Amino acid sequence: MRDLLPVETMSVFFAVLALLCWVIVVALVAGALVRRSRRGRPGRLEPLRDDIGRMALPLAWVIAVVTTLGSLYYSKVMEYVPCELCWYQRIVIYPFAVILGIAAWRRDAGIRVYAVPVLAIGMVISAYHTWIQAYPPSDGTSFCTADAPCTTRYVWEFGFVSLPFMALSAMVAMTALLLVARPAAGRAAIQE
Amino acid sequence: MSNKPSRKTSPSAKVRAASASGRSSTVWWWVGLGVLVVVIAVVAVAVGRSSDSGSDAGGSASPSGGTVVPNGDLKYGTVTVSGTPLPKAGGAGADPAVGDTLPTITGETFDGSPITIGPDGKPQVVMVVAHWCPHCGREVPKLQKWLDENGMPTDVELVTLATANDNTAPKFPAGDWLRKEKWSVPTLLDDEQSTGGQALGVSGYPYFIVVDAEGKVVFRTSGELTTEQFELLLEAARTGVAPT
Repeated sequence: MRDLLPVETMSVFFAVLALLCWVIVVALVAGALVRRSRRGRPGRLEPLRDDIGRMALPLAWVIAVVTTLGSLYYSKVMEYVPCELCWYQRIVIYPFAVILGIAAWRRDAGIRVYAVPVLAIGMVISAYHTWIQAYPPSDGTSFCTADAPCTTRYVWEFGFVSLPFMALSAMVAMTALLLVARPAAGRAAIQE
Repeated sequence: MSNKPSRKTSPSAKVRAASASGRSSTVWWWVGLGVLVVVIAVVAVAVGRSSDSGSDAGGSASPSGGTVVPNGDLKYGTVTVSGTPLPKAGGAGADPAVGDTLPTITGETFDGSPITIGPDGKPQVVMVVAHWCPHCGREVPKLQKWLDENGMPTDVELVTLATANDNTAPKFPAGDWLRKEKWSVPTLLDDEQSTGGQALGVSGYPYFIVVDAEGKVVFRTSGELTTEQFELLLEAARTGVAPT
C-alpha cells in the first residue's frame, strides 16, 4: 500500500489541500466583508452568495471526510503512532465525517450551533500542537534521547505544514463554512 | 450528497425555480473544485516522484570523493558484537569509556553487504544517528555539505551507525533517508534491538565517538555539532587528545 501511496506524494497532496482550506477561509471572510459594506444594495453577487450557502455544508463534510481518511492513512498505512494531542484532534474531527454528511443531506444549517463549539475546542488543541511542532519547547539540549524523543514532526512540508497544521486548517475551514451555510428553502421558517 | 430540494418542504414555484438554477450553478463550482483537486494530486505525484529519485542515488560517486550509501531496502540489519561494550557516559564526571578499546560491531549496510565498525589501525570518528531524530536530520546534510566541500578526510576514517530504527517513526527506513541526503559515509544498519548502539554506550542522538589509531576511545559527545566542532573531532582523532 505504501508503494501505491508514497508518503512524499501524499504529504504534499494533503499539505496543498490544507493551504486550500485557508484560501477558502480568506475568500469567505473577504466575501462577507464586501457584502457587509454593500448592505441594502444587494448586487449581482447575491446568486454567488446563495451558491456558497448551498455548497457550504457538503464542502464542510468533504473536508471532514478527507481529513479523517488522511489521518487514517498516516496511522494505518504509514504506521505512525498518534500522540495524545493527535487523538484529541481525531476525536473532534472523526464524528463530523458522519454528522456533517447527514446535515448536508438534510440541508440542516442549524448543525452549526452544535458543531462550532466542538470545532472551537479542537482548534485550540490544534493551534497549540501546531505551535509546539513549529517551535519545540527546548529543554536546552541539542540531542534526542530514546526516553524523551523530540516533538516529532512526522510531516513537514514547505517548511511549515505539519500534521496538526493540517488539522487546524481543516477545522478553521469547516467552521467558516458552517457559519455561511444556508438552510434549505422553507426550513428557515421552521428553525428557532 | 444530493442537493435536490426535499419534497416535504414544498417550496413555492418561484423558490423551486430559483433552487433549480442555483443547483446547476453549484454543479460548476463542484466541477471546478474537483478539477482543482485533480491538479493538486498530479502536482503532488510529480513532486513526490522528483524527491524520491534521490533514493536511487545509492552507490553513486559523491562530490566528497566518497560513495553514497548503497541502494537497498534493508529495514533492520543483523549485528554481532565482539569485545567489551563501552559504558554509557554518566551525568557529571569524566566519561568512563575514555581509554577503552572500541568493540567490534559486525553487520551490514543497506544492500546487505558486510561492514564492520571497530579498531582498524586508523584514527576514526564513529557517528551514530537515528532516522527519526530531528537533530540527526539537521546534522547529516550539514556534515555532508562539509564533506562535499572539503573531501572525505584521508587520515581519519569516518563510519556511521544507523541505530534506534523504528518502523513507526518518521523517515524509516534509515537507508532511504541517508540516500536522499546523499550521505557518503559508510553506514552500518543496526538491528531492531539497537545492539550496536548499546555496545557503543550511546546516550543520545546524534552521537560521536572519537577513536585513536590504536582503537582506543579518545572522546565521546552527543548532540548536534557545528562544522567547526566536527573539525575539532577530526583533529582529536589525529592527535589522540580530546578537544577542550
